[in-house]
Amino acid sequence: MSNRERLLVRLFLLEYERNDTTPSLAVRSVNLVLAFLFMVSLFYFAFSRVAYHWAWGSVGRYWPMFVKGWCVTVLVSLAALATSAFLGVFLALVQRSRILALRYLSKLIVELIRGTPLLVQILIFFYIVAEAFQIRNRYLVGILILSIFSAAYICEIVRGGIESVGKSQIDSARAIGFTHRQIYRYVVFPQAIRQILPALAGQFVSLIKDSSLLSIISISEFTLNAQEVNAFTYSAFESYIPLAVGYLILTLPISLWSRRLERKFAYET
Amino acid sequence: MYRRLWRGFTPRATTASGSPPRKTWIYLALMLTLTGFRVGCNSQDVRVVPLIVGMELAYPPFEMTDSNGSPTGVSVDLAHALGAYLNRPVRIENIPFDGLIPALKTGKIDLIISSMTATPQRRQSIDFSDPYLKTGLCLLVGVHSNIHSISDADRKGKSVAVKKGTTGHGYAAAHIRNATVLVLDKETACVLEVVQGKADAFIYDQMSVYKNWRRYPDHTVALLEPFQEESWAIGLRKGTERLRTQANRFLVHFRETGGFDRLADKYLHEQKEAFRRMGYPFYF
Repeated sequence: MSNRERLLVRLFLLEYERNDTTPSLAVRSVNLVLAFLFMVSLFYFAFSRVAYHWAWGSVGRYWPMFVKGWCVTVLVSLAALATSAFLGVFLALVQRSRILALRYLSKLIVELIRGTPLLVQILIFFYIVAEAFQIRNRYLVGILILSIFSAAYICEIVRGGIESVGKSQIDSARAIGFTHRQIYRYVVFPQAIRQILPALAGQFVSLIKDSSLLSIISISEFTLNAQEVNAFTYSAFESYIPLAVGYLILTLPISLWSRRLERKFAYET
Repeated sequence: MYRRLWRGFTPRATTASGSPPRKTWIYLALMLTLTGFRVGCNSQDVRVVPLIVGMELAYPPFEMTDSNGSPTGVSVDLAHALGAYLNRPVRIENIPFDGLIPALKTGKIDLIISSMTATPQRRQSIDFSDPYLKTGLCLLVGVHSNIHSISDADRKGKSVAVKKGTTGHGYAAAHIRNATVLVLDKETACVLEVVQGKADAFIYDQMSVYKNWRRYPDHTVALLEPFQEESWAIGLRKGTERLRTQANRFLVHFRETGGFDRLADKYLHEQKEAFRRMGYPFYF
């Protein structure tokens, strides 16, 4: 092997078989840039093939709409995030309730929500259920339906986490005189949380993206505002590319954080 | 594993056998075939290339689908008549209204016949044929809304529904200052908002407002007096002058041979009578 080849091998190849070390920062950045360049050139090629007259100027005038919409999306997502975490845990606990009817009710809600499209849920909830209960604020309804939707998934994640704690541990806890609440507080939850955090982070990313569907009930969030700019300027891509970037700014930190959590808990189990 | 892959791409590995590896030949052949197909496409006769007409099939009776799901309505018949006039087969593409102009600009469709108003803003992006129908924006209001004109609607605490990308949306963005504007995807959603009292008014064209009022006479009131006149035209990509001339010639021909009257009798009989009775202009 010549020196040049050796250098190339050292720069681009992972050789986990031989030594279990992570590559140096320089090697990692070179390869990251390479992967990045590949994606950029792919899209550059695709876009250059389309005879499309770009008009960024006309879209640029509407930047306050993008900012306003982005802020609404952040607020709606945050509110739905907190509510859905609470509701999800609640639903999961209800599924372990001693009253059978409550267990079935929780299961029914979860299956109904997970098995039907969010679009239909939003329309029915807003125009029929919320109308019947006289909930007039569309933002409140939007946050509620998004929370319920996400809670169904979180419920399943939490249930999986709780069930991953071995039955023998619960029996042992009961044997040494822990109360029901103490068992959950000191035995089940500390272990379950570790299991479910990465999956939860993934669910939160989904929730942020799903909030875009609230545009159909005229909640003036990021997607609706981008669609409006498109309607005013007839520049679809110039409106939607900033939209994609705006969502990435929100979701990327969460998925990076979830990646770190996954790594962190990988060798603790 | 990694090593072998890598070896395959070093210069030494390729020169050892004296000629490029077999895979390279396969790729080359594939690429040549593909380019061959492209050339073949380009040399096709223009006249048998179908005329692709974009419209949103959600605006009865102009653009809708029949019980089998195939397109029907005034615009569909108009598109087929244009195809027959130009001796070209017609293909209808169902595209959401706010996606029509981008589709036209990127060449996915050749024409827009979708009850589209020729506005100055749209003229910046696309060209239009001569207008073929005149109508106006008016209001569908809730029975309890206490609105009698567009200036009543634009007051603090009122909310006005519009369909995304329509001239009603454009009007609201430019002129509604005090009321809340609710932008929705579907006409039916806008009407539902008014029926349920979630919105006080819905800005739309006279014919649709009339139609929706007939559907919900107990919950809505139609204020048919137009506050903005508009005329519909066929949308064309900029730089397709020849097609535009042809379309204009066709519209003249279609009007002279009574085509529009036939369409009005077929699809809009009730509206035509009602508008005549109330004294509002209704004409192609």
